[in-house]
Amino acid sequence: MSQHQDSPELFDEATVRKSMNLSRRSNTTKKPVNSSDTTKNNATDFEKSDELRVYRQNTFRFRIAHTKYIFLMFFLGLLQLFAVIFFCKGFLLTRNVIGDVATFDVQLQGLSEKSFANEKNQIVFNKTVILIIDALRFDFVSPQPHSNEVYHNHFPILQNAPHSYLYKFLSDPPTTTLQRLKGLTTGSLPTFIDAGSNFNGEVIDEDNLIKQFHLNNKTTYFAGDDTWKALFDPYLSKKSKYYESLNVWDLETVDQGVMRYFDEHLTEEDEEWDVLIGHMLGVDHVGHKHGPNHHEMSTKLEQMNAFVSEQLLPKIDNDTILFIFGDHGMDHTGNHGGDSKDELETTLFVYSPKFGVTPPKSTNHDHKVVNQIDFVPTLSLLLNIPIPFNNLGWPIEDIIENSGFAQTLNQIHHYQETSKVLEGNPLLLTNLNTHFNKNEGAIYQRLFLENCKSMWAKFDLISISIGITLLSISLCLIIVITKLIPSIVVGQMVHEFVPSIIVMCMISCVSLNSIFQILNQPSFLENWKFCTLFSLAIGIIVGCCIPIFDRYTIKWMAIKFFEEINDYWSRVAVLMITLHALCFTSNSFTIWEDRIVAFLLTTIGFLTLYEFAFAPKRASTNALFTAASSRVSNMLSKTQHSTFVSSWTHRSHSPDKQHSSDLHAANEGENVSDNTASSETLPLGRFARVIGAYHSLLLILATRLASNITICREEQGTKCIPTFVNANNYSWWAMLGIFLLIWSLPTCIKGYYNISSSYQAAAPVWINQFLKSSLFLSFIYWFLNYYETTYGSLPFDAQIWKFSISRIVAGFSLVALNIGWAMGPMCIKLDLRNTDLKSQTATILGYSNVYGAQFFLLVINFVMAIMFFSKPLAQLSLFLMINQLLSILEIFDLLKLKENLIGPVTLGLLAYQHFFSTGHQATIPSIQWDTGFMLTEKITFPFTHISLILNTFGPFFIVALSVALLTLWKQPPSVLKPQTLLSRIVSNCGMLLIYNTVLCLSSFAWVTHFRRHLMVWKIFCPRFMFSCMTLLVIQVVVIFVTVAFASGRLIRQINNIFWK
Amino acid sequence: MTSEKRPLAKKKKSVTFSDYDTVITPSISNNHAHKKRFLFSGFRRSARKDHDGSHQPVSMRKSLTTVPVHLLFLLYYYMKTFDIIKLYYMAIPSQIFYLMFQFRKNTVYGGKKLMKTNYSLLLSSFVLALPVLSLATTIIFVLCGAPLLSMDYLVKTIQLSFHCCILAFPAIYTIFNCNFKVAIFKKYFIAIMFGCWLSCIVIPLDWDRDWQEWPIPLVIGAYSGAFVGYTIGAYI
Repeated sequence: MSQHQDSPELFDEATVRKSMNLSRRSNTTKKPVNSSDTTKNNATDFEKSDELRVYRQNTFRFRIAHTKYIFLMFFLGLLQLFAVIFFCKGFLLTRNVIGDVATFDVQLQGLSEKSFANEKNQIVFNKTVILIIDALRFDFVSPQPHSNEVYHNHFPILQNAPHSYLYKFLSDPPTTTLQRLKGLTTGSLPTFIDAGSNFNGEVIDEDNLIKQFHLNNKTTYFAGDDTWKALFDPYLSKKSKYYESLNVWDLETVDQGVMRYFDEHLTEEDEEWDVLIGHMLGVDHVGHKHGPNHHEMSTKLEQMNAFVSEQLLPKIDNDTILFIFGDHGMDHTGNHGGDSKDELETTLFVYSPKFGVTPPKSTNHDHKVVNQIDFVPTLSLLLNIPIPFNNLGWPIEDIIENSGFAQTLNQIHHYQETSKVLEGNPLLLTNLNTHFNKNEGAIYQRLFLENCKSMWAKFDLISISIGITLLSISLCLIIVITKLIPSIVVGQMVHEFVPSIIVMCMISCVSLNSIFQILNQPSFLENWKFCTLFSLAIGIIVGCCIPIFDRYTIKWMAIKFFEEINDYWSRVAVLMITLHALCFTSNSFTIWEDRIVAFLLTTIGFLTLYEFAFAPKRASTNALFTAASSRVSNMLSKTQHSTFVSSWTHRSHSPDKQHSSDLHAANEGENVSDNTASSETLPLGRFARVIGAYHSLLLILATRLASNITICREEQGTKCIPTFVNANNYSWWAMLGIFLLIWSLPTCIKGYYNISSSYQAAAPVWINQFLKSSLFLSFIYWFLNYYETTYGSLPFDAQIWKFSISRIVAGFSLVALNIGWAMGPMCIKLDLRNTDLKSQTATILGYSNVYGAQFFLLVINFVMAIMFFSKPLAQLSLFLMINQLLSILEIFDLLKLKENLIGPVTLGLLAYQHFFSTGHQATIPSIQWDTGFMLTEKITFPFTHISLILNTFGPFFIVALSVALLTLWKQPPSVLKPQTLLSRIVSNCGMLLIYNTVLCLSSFAWVTHFRRHLMVWKIFCPRFMFSCMTLLVIQVVVIFVTVAFASGRLIRQINNIFWK
Repeated sequence: MTSEKRPLAKKKKSVTFSDYDTVITPSISNNHAHKKRFLFSGFRRSARKDHDGSHQPVSMRKSLTTVPVHLLFLLYYYMKTFDIIKLYYMAIPSQIFYLMFQFRKNTVYGGKKLMKTNYSLLLSSFVLALPVLSLATTIIFVLCGAPLLSMDYLVKTIQLSFHCCILAFPAIYTIFNCNFKVAIFKKYFIAIMFGCWLSCIVIPLDWDRDWQEWPIPLVIGAYSGAFVGYTIGAYI
C-alpha cells in the first residue's frame, strides 16, 4: 500500500468516514482525521482552518527540528571522525623513507685493501629466473613422511632437485603480498600502515632490486600479479603481462598466464631478458577460497610440481640462476596477514647447474632458516649489481663468498650512517662501530636489524593525545546532549546548537589557520590540513559548549549523570559497558572477546529472565517516567490487549474484547486467559511474565547457538575449534539450513508482527514475498558456490548466473526496496464488524505497533542484502540475530525500559556477538575478501567496498538501524508528539554511540599503553582499527539512515494520518 | 536462578516465585507475633486467604551460627588438591550437618522456629531433587557458555553443577519444608551463581596456571559465593 505523505489515501474514503462517525457517536475525543479528509468533514469552517493552521505549523516545526537534529549529530560525528584521524596519524607508524640510490662506489670502498686472495671468486650469473608462488607455506614442499593432510607431499621436486638449496624462508609481518613484495625488493621492513593500502600500492620510492636491474641495464620481464605493475611499473619491460590479483574465485588465469609466458620466453633463443619474474597466485587463491585442507590444494600443488620439474628446471642453463619462493604462508583457514608461524614460514629454493654438488637436504624439520630480506643482498651479489640502499638483510652463506659479506657490511653501515636511525643511542652506535671495525658483519647486521625494528615503532604521542582528548570530549558532549539534558529541552536547544557550531567553526578555522600560517604555531600540526581539522574540532566543541553552559552547570550535570545511572537497569548497562571496555586491558581478554561478549549478552538474558520470573520490586525512575508519559501505550502493551487496536473503539465497545481475544488466540497460540485482566493492576501481569520469560529464554538460547559459529583466532589455540570453515560453509547441512531459512525467517518475523496484529497490508508483501524471494535467490547463489566447491565446475557458465543473481538482489534490496519504503508502506488494516444492525465497530488492526512494524520493514531491506553477502553459516547466525533482536524489543517493551540505557547496550552487545559469529574476528586475515567479488569480477569502486562492508559490518548495520525500534516498537500513534518521539529516538541512538565511543576510547587508551607490548601489532592494533571502523560505520548509519532518512519520514507520515 | 525449574509441586502447596506473590500485607501479618521481622512488607496487595499456611512468612534469624565455616575449609582443601570428586565426600556430609544444626535452627517459619528435621524430606530431596536440579543447573551452565568441545568437558560441567546444588541444598531443603517459598531463598542461589559468574573472569587469562582449567575457577567461585551468601543471607 503506497501513499503520499501529504494526501494520505490509506483507506477507502467511505470507510474512513464511517469510522469517524462511529468515533463521534461513541463520544470520545480522539478522531482519526487527516488533512484531506478535513475538507470533507462537516466541521465548521472556522474549526477546519484553525486545525489546519495548527497542523501545518506543527509539521513545519517538526521538519526544522528534524533537520537541525541531523546537523547536530553530524557535527558530533565529525568531531569523532577528527579524533580518529588524529589518533591514527599518531599511532599508525610510517617509516622515514630515504630516496638514496646505492652505487658501487660506496659499497666496494676499502674492499680491495682487505685481501680475499685465498678465497675463490664469487659465482656471478648473467640471467635470473624468479618464480614467486604466493602463499607457498614451507610444509607444502618439505617432506612430511607421516602426514595424511591433503596438502602435504604434493610438491616434492624442490626437495629432490640436485644442484639446489632449500631454505625455510622467514617473512616479516604483516604477511600481506604488497608488504612482502616491498620487503623482498628493498630489503627493508614495511610498517603496519602499509597493510591498509594493500589495494592500491604506489610505485616504491625507495631503492630496490628492480630499480637496480633497470639502472644496471638489465631488462626485467614480468608475468603475474598486477601488484607488480603498481609497484615497479617504470622499471619493468613493456612486454610484461599482468593479471588481476585480488579475484580469489579465479584459481587458474594467473597461473596459466605465467606458465604460457615462461614457455614463450624461457628459451635458448630469447636473449632479450636478463631477469624473468613470474608471480603465481593459484595456491593463495585456493587457500582463500577453500582453505589449505581441500583437494583443490593438492591438485594445485601437483600442477606446480609438474611445471617446475618438467618445464622450468630443464631450461635453466649454466649461466642462469633460478629462485622459487613464496612471499608468505597461510594459516589453517587459508588466510594470511598476521604473524603466526604458519603465515610467516615460507619456502626459498635456489637452483643452478653451476652449483655443482650441493649438500643433501635434511629430511627432518631442521632446514636452514633464512630471513626474507636476505634475498636482496644475495641476488644483488649474484648478479653483480649494487645492493639496494635500504637493505638490512644478510647474504645467504651457502651461495655467497666472503667478499660479498664485506660489501653488504659496507652497504648496511653506509645506510646506518646516512639514515641516522640510531642517532639517539650513542652506546649502541659505538658498539656497532666496534663490530664494523672488527669486520664482524653478521653480528653487526643482526644488532642493527633488531634495533631498526624497535626504532620504527616510534609514535607521535602528541597526535595520539589530541585524538584521545577529542574523543573523550565528544563522548562527554554526546552524553550531555543525548542523555543528561531532558529531551524536550534538547528539542528547543538544537536551534541554538547548529548556528553556534557553524559560527564557532568558522571563527576558530580562520583564527587558528592564520596563526598557523604566520607564526607556525602550534608546531605539532604538520600542515594546513591538520590545522583545519584541529580548528574545526575546536569549533564544534566550543559551539556545543556555549548553549549547554548557557543553561546548565557542571555540578548540575554531575548530579544528573548519577541520577541517570541510579536505577537498577541503567547500572546493569553501565556494568556491561565497563566490562566490555575493560576487555582491552589484557591481550587475553581481547583474544577471547567473542566469548566474553556472548557471555555478557547471556547475562542480560538471564537478568531479564529473572525479572520476569520473580518480578522483583524496583523503583525504576525511568520506568515510572515512561509509564506516566505513555500511559495508554503501556496499558495496551502490558497485557494481551496489546494485540491491536485503536484505543477509542476498545474503550467504547466491549464486544471488541471478545474479538481481540479471538484474533489473538489465532496468533502464535498465545492463549488469553480471563484472569489476566485482574493482574493489570500489577506492574507485570502473569501473562506478560510468561511471554517475557519466553522471549528471554529465546534470547539466551539463540545466543548460545549462534556463539557456536566461530572462526577462531590463531591465538585461541586448541581451546577453540573453528566451525566457520569452508568445509562447513559448503556442506550439505549448511545448504539445508539456508534452504529452510527461506521459510523460517519470514515465519518468525511474521510471528513477531502478529503479536501486535501488525501483519497487515504492506507487511505480507514485504515479508512473505520480497524477503522470501530474496532469500531464495541467495540460496541459489550459495548453492551454486557449494556445487562448484564440492563437485567441480558446472556444466554451464555459472559465473553469469551468479553475477546476475547478486546484482538483482543487491539492487532490489538496497535501492528499489528503500525507495519503496520511502513511499510509506503501512502495516495497518481497517477491520469493520457488525455487532448488531445499528452499530458498527471499526478496528484498526496493527494500531498499537504502527511505527515499529513499518520501521522494521526498512530493517528487513538491509537484512536481505546483508544475508546475501554473508556465507551460509553466517546467514544462520543472522537468522538467530533477527529473532534475538525482536525478542529484545519485546522484552524491553514489557519491562517498560524503552528509554533506559540497557536497551541500546543490549543491542550493541548483540551486534558484537554476531560480528564474531558471522565468521569475523578483529584481525586482518579474518576479513572475508572473497565476498568482495560477489558483485563484480574486478575491484570496482563502490561495489567491491559495499559488499565487503556489508559482509563485515552487517550486524552493526542492522543494530544501528533498529536502535530506533526501541522507541518505535509497540508505540501507538497519537500518544507522543512527533518532536518527543524524535528526541527519544535520538537519545537511544546516542546511547548506542556512547557505548561504541567508550569502547573506542578504551581501545585507544590501551593500545597506547601497550604500544611497546609484544602483541601490539597482532592483537591490540587490529582491535583498535576495528573499533574505529565500527564507530564510524555506526555513526554513518545512525545519522544518515536511522535519523535522517527513516525516522523523520516515518514520524511525519504517521502523524499525518493519525493527527488529531 | 536454579529455581525456575522447580519440579516438585504438590497439591495445596503453591510454588511462588514472585516477590509480589509472597508479599505479606500488614493485615495478614497482624495475626502473627513476629510481624516486624517479615522481609517483604511494603507492597500492597489483596492476598488470598490461605488455609494450608502457604502464606505464612519465612525468614532467617540473624545469628552468627549461620556462618558456614566448613565451606572455608572445603575451599582451602580444594585449592590445594583440585580434586573435585573427593570434595564431594567432604562437602555432602558437612552441608547436611550445616543444614541440620545451623541453617535449620535459624529458620523461622510461621512465627516458629523449625524444631524438627524432616528426615524423609531430607532424604527424598537429596535423592530426587538434587539430580534433577543439577541437570537444570548444567543446562544453565551450558547456556552461559560452558564448553561442549568433548564429553569430558560435559562431565566436568555436570560435576560442577552437582557441587552447586550441594551448596544450595540447605536452601532447597528449606524451600521444600516451607511450602515452596522460592522468592525468600533465591538469594542463596543468586549468591552461588554470582560467585560462578564472577570467577569466569580468570578463565581467558593466559597465565597458564593449572587452576584455570575448566571448571576449577567456577567451583572456587561457587564455594566463595555460597560462603558469602549463607553468611549474610539473613541480613539482606
